[in-house]
Amino acid sequence: MRNLLAIYGRTLTAIICLMVLFWVLAMILVPQIAMLHNSLWWTEKSGDAAAVTLRIDALYNDIGVLELDLAAAGDDEKAKITAEIESKRSEIAELESKEVSARRVYGFANYTRMSALHFGIFVKTMFFSALVTVLALIVCYPIAFAAAQVFTGEKAALLMLGLVVPYAINELLRIYAWLMILDYQGVINSALAWMGLVDFSKGTAIPFLQSPGAVFAAMIYAYILFMVFPIYNTLETLDRNQLDAARDLGAATARIHWRVAIPHAKPGIAVGCIMTFMLSAGSYSVPQIMTRGQGGDWFSQLIYRQFFDANNWNIGAAYAFTLLVACLVFIFLVMRMFGVGIREIAR
Amino acid sequence: MRFRDFTAVHKTDLMVNAGEFFSILGPSGCGKTTILKMVAGFLEPTEGTVLIGGTPMTGVGPAQRPTALIFQNLALFPLMTVWENVAFGLEARGMRVAERRRRAGELLDLVALGGHEMKRPGELSGGQKQRVAIARALAVEPSVLLLDEPLSALDLKLRHHMRAELRAIQQRVGITFIYITHDQGEALTMSDRIAVMSQGRIEQIATPEELYGRPSSAFVATFVGANNVLHGRVTSAVNGHLSVDSPLGPLRARKTDGVAAGQETLIFVRPERIRLDPPPTVENRISGKVVRRELEGAYLQLEIATETGQRLLAQVTNADESVARKIGESLSVGFNAVDAQALPPGPLAVER
Repeated sequence: MRNLLAIYGRTLTAIICLMVLFWVLAMILVPQIAMLHNSLWWTEKSGDAAAVTLRIDALYNDIGVLELDLAAAGDDEKAKITAEIESKRSEIAELESKEVSARRVYGFANYTRMSALHFGIFVKTMFFSALVTVLALIVCYPIAFAAAQVFTGEKAALLMLGLVVPYAINELLRIYAWLMILDYQGVINSALAWMGLVDFSKGTAIPFLQSPGAVFAAMIYAYILFMVFPIYNTLETLDRNQLDAARDLGAATARIHWRVAIPHAKPGIAVGCIMTFMLSAGSYSVPQIMTRGQGGDWFSQLIYRQFFDANNWNIGAAYAFTLLVACLVFIFLVMRMFGVGIREIAR
Repeated sequence: MRFRDFTAVHKTDLMVNAGEFFSILGPSGCGKTTILKMVAGFLEPTEGTVLIGGTPMTGVGPAQRPTALIFQNLALFPLMTVWENVAFGLEARGMRVAERRRRAGELLDLVALGGHEMKRPGELSGGQKQRVAIARALAVEPSVLLLDEPLSALDLKLRHHMRAELRAIQQRVGITFIYITHDQGEALTMSDRIAVMSQGRIEQIATPEELYGRPSSAFVATFVGANNVLHGRVTSAVNGHLSVDSPLGPLRARKTDGVAAGQETLIFVRPERIRLDPPPTVENRISGKVVRRELEGAYLQLEIATETGQRLLAQVTNADESVARKIGESLSVGFNAVDAQALPPGPLAVER
């Protein structure tokens, strides 16, 4: 603090502190606490009180319908419909005076009441995200290695450019592109049909979109850079001579990677895995688009449905918080597994 | 060896004897590292063949060659312990853990690093890292050890110490060392033989004594050690002696092949062979003025300007008071004909 004051003076220090405070509050604490708070309560009503509320809802619905009728009706019927609306209005007023507001109850039920089906989806999502992470690692390590160590100068720059260019396109469009590629009458199946391997008229085309692999493919494509760049950054700092030295000492390619390159790239691999896992586990658009909302849900879709379809924000918050905790656990596990500290991750 | 249009090493015939400490000496960019990489197998020569122990190495990768390379920056594996570093080559050969651990211990004892097995390279001093690199290279029992300026990163004192140590290790293990350096001091002190390179060509291959005493080209004469250069034209060549007409007057020099009467020549005289107030038996005498004097402690360095403007460097042992000279003092210097080497004109080593 004293250092800050000495370097930046009073005004700038105050600005810096305010900005840090704002960041911590607005970006970290307030949203998470709000989410956590939401997940810890729910509303409860006794049977009779609930029936009253349902009745009021039904009456409001009826009035809505009647008002539509009124607009369409002839003059003779208008009076009748108006009277009916009036009677329903008075009934609502009477019921509403009796209605008791819901009780807010605090507890962990939003977490513990997760159904077996939803828990299954949660486990499946964790497993699939881990699988996407592993697949992305397998795809990205050779790319990162090639860009960092094999190619030099212009070729490496072109390779990196090739990786970045697709990211100039909106994420949704990129996912739709994969939809078109993998669709039943999409690019791949059309190519196969052209080669005579499948026949649309006989229905032998391959239904790629029905397998989780389609989601995996789109996800790996969507998040490839988040895996490539951290690994590339660490591999770029690897002294070429170490690779040559290992080779000179008689090591085969696999051993050179296993003993020299991969240990060196560990912090990058850890960061890449964490980012890819979190993005996959939290991805809504990829599974939604690739399965057209028809395939098995991912947990992120489930959270969305809780918020916007079931209109149960409390359960949604609990699910979202569960996902957050699961991701934190994953980060912790990866850091333990790779033996890297928070400081190396932050780099 | 060519890279696109650039020829890094011209046609070269080089024979290194088994068990020899052989140095390749040259300024940076002369192609010495390229030769080393061709021997190690990281580069395939564009033309010609590398043979090790009589076996052609064409198509044999660095992993399979009986060579081990010590890199300029050593390239130790920073994430492995010292013993794992040393045993890496054995690991690659599929040796069991216990066995390679024992072997690593032996090698570390050989380079006087016993007890440091569990450390990481980062915890060692420069000289210790050097020794780990040597042990790691020796572990694979190469028939040729290639060293790419491994001492250049060390400070002066350690460098001098490691010279002696490298030589001692080489004599203990008895394998061929090919040592790349731009430091003539290193090459002269350690080597059995030295090849001097310039611009992709080998200028001379000789023992240190021969190289220093009888350089075969103007480049070698000026690159290895300091030399005074005098221009002149040969007037006669008789009985191994040359008479040379120079701006400083007639000079006498030792005859070398390729220098004949009527030709332009360069005469090289080592600063330490230039004598102050020469006795009458000394054949060449020149008078001049001291323009610079540097006392190095054990010896005194004088720069002398002759009447023609030619500068001469003289190095005299600080044996007694008689060598003391002041700047601006006139003096007479001289050198014997046997100490003056006449060579055909050619490019000189540029001071860096």
